[in-house]
This record gives sequence, structure tokens and C-alpha cells, in this order.
Amino acid sequence: MLASQKHAWFTVAVVLSSVVAVAALVPVLGLPRATGAFGLLGVLGFGPLFYRKRPGEVVTDERDAMIQRRSLAITAAVFWVLFVEFCVFAPWFYYGSDGAVPVWMVQSSVLVAWVVVSLTYSVATLCQYGWGGADAA
Amino acid sequence: MPPEQRGPLRNQIRRLRFERDEMTQHALAERVGVTRQTIIALEAGKYVPSLALAFQIARAFDVRIEDVFQWADNGASG
Repeated sequence: MLASQKHAWFTVAVVLSSVVAVAALVPVLGLPRATGAFGLLGVLGFGPLFYRKRPGEVVTDERDAMIQRRSLAITAAVFWVLFVEFCVFAPWFYYGSDGAVPVWMVQSSVLVAWVVVSLTYSVATLCQYGWGGADAA
Repeated sequence: MPPEQRGPLRNQIRRLRFERDEMTQHALAERVGVTRQTIIALEAGKYVPSLALAFQIARAFDVRIEDVFQWADNGASG
């Protein structure tokens, strides 16, 4: 499995784990405080370790770069569509009586956006690689 | 050429590998500076190489680039 594939699977695992953790904490702590479990996303910072260079080994090549560019384009498109939809529909549900958006809503939006971007990029990458496997093209 | 290659660009990489003392995909990948999975994708016709990579592959086999890669409608006047 290539470094990019491993990184994508790692990202999917961390993101889904954080989402499950948040969902599990909602009944206990309530929604705003449960979003603290998104701190697990910090583990994604270890992602670059998959690309450390080993002597005589090609870590990434032109095909990997092409797949990364395509994944980035797909992620940007998905994010933009969801962002516009959120901006249009969220005010209907979350504007306070004085027209203000709750602070936790703004913080959660950033975290959810991070989840969506990470997940979309990784899934797009894995789809292009054929979902891994030693001989997947 | 592998029957599963699609698109107008065909290649003879697999045949040339076997004609060169059954060179492995890994050995070819090392020689041209890409991953083995890229060689797999090339042989399956799922990836179109850059011009530089195409020349590197031809040089690895010590043949002309036209001997490695062919356009499906080759032979049309132009």
C-alpha cells in the first residue's frame, strides 16, 4: 500500500473515531460540550509521518501527485456546496431572538468543516487508488 | 498487449519487461523512479504517463518511445 493510501485510511479512521466519540458523549455532556471530543482530530497531525523518506524507496510519484490534485479539486467542490447550503439554511434554525448566531455554532461549524474536508479528501483519494490492496491501480 | 487496456493509448510495457529477462514491475519502477503501483496502472492502461516518464521507460528498455507507446489510430495519414 502506498504512503498516500495509508495516510487516507489513517485519516478516515481518526475522523470516524472522533465523530463516534462526539456522538457517544452527546447524551452525557450535551451537544456543545461533547464537541470537545473533536480534539481527537489533532492526531491527524501525525499524517506527514507516512511520507518520511526511506533510502532507495519512491514515496510519491507523478501519479500520486495527480491523484492528490484531483482529490483536492473534489474536496473544494464538495466543501463549497455544503458551505453555501449551510449559510442559506442554518440561520433558519439557529438565529437567536436578537438575530445572533450562538458561539458554539460557529466553533462547531469549523470542526464539522474540518471533518468534511478530511473525510472527502481521503475518500476521493482511496476511490482513485481503488481502495488499497497491494496490486490496486 | 494486455487486452484490458482501454483508451486510444496502448503500451507494450509488460511484453518488454518479459523480453528483458522477465524484469519485475518493482525493478522497472526503481529504474524509472516511480512506485510499483504506477507501473501496474500503466500496464493496465489506467494511467497515462507524462512525457518525461514515457521517455524514461523507453530508455529503461533501450528502445524508442514509439516502441513502448502507440496511439490506437496509428497509421492514419497526417
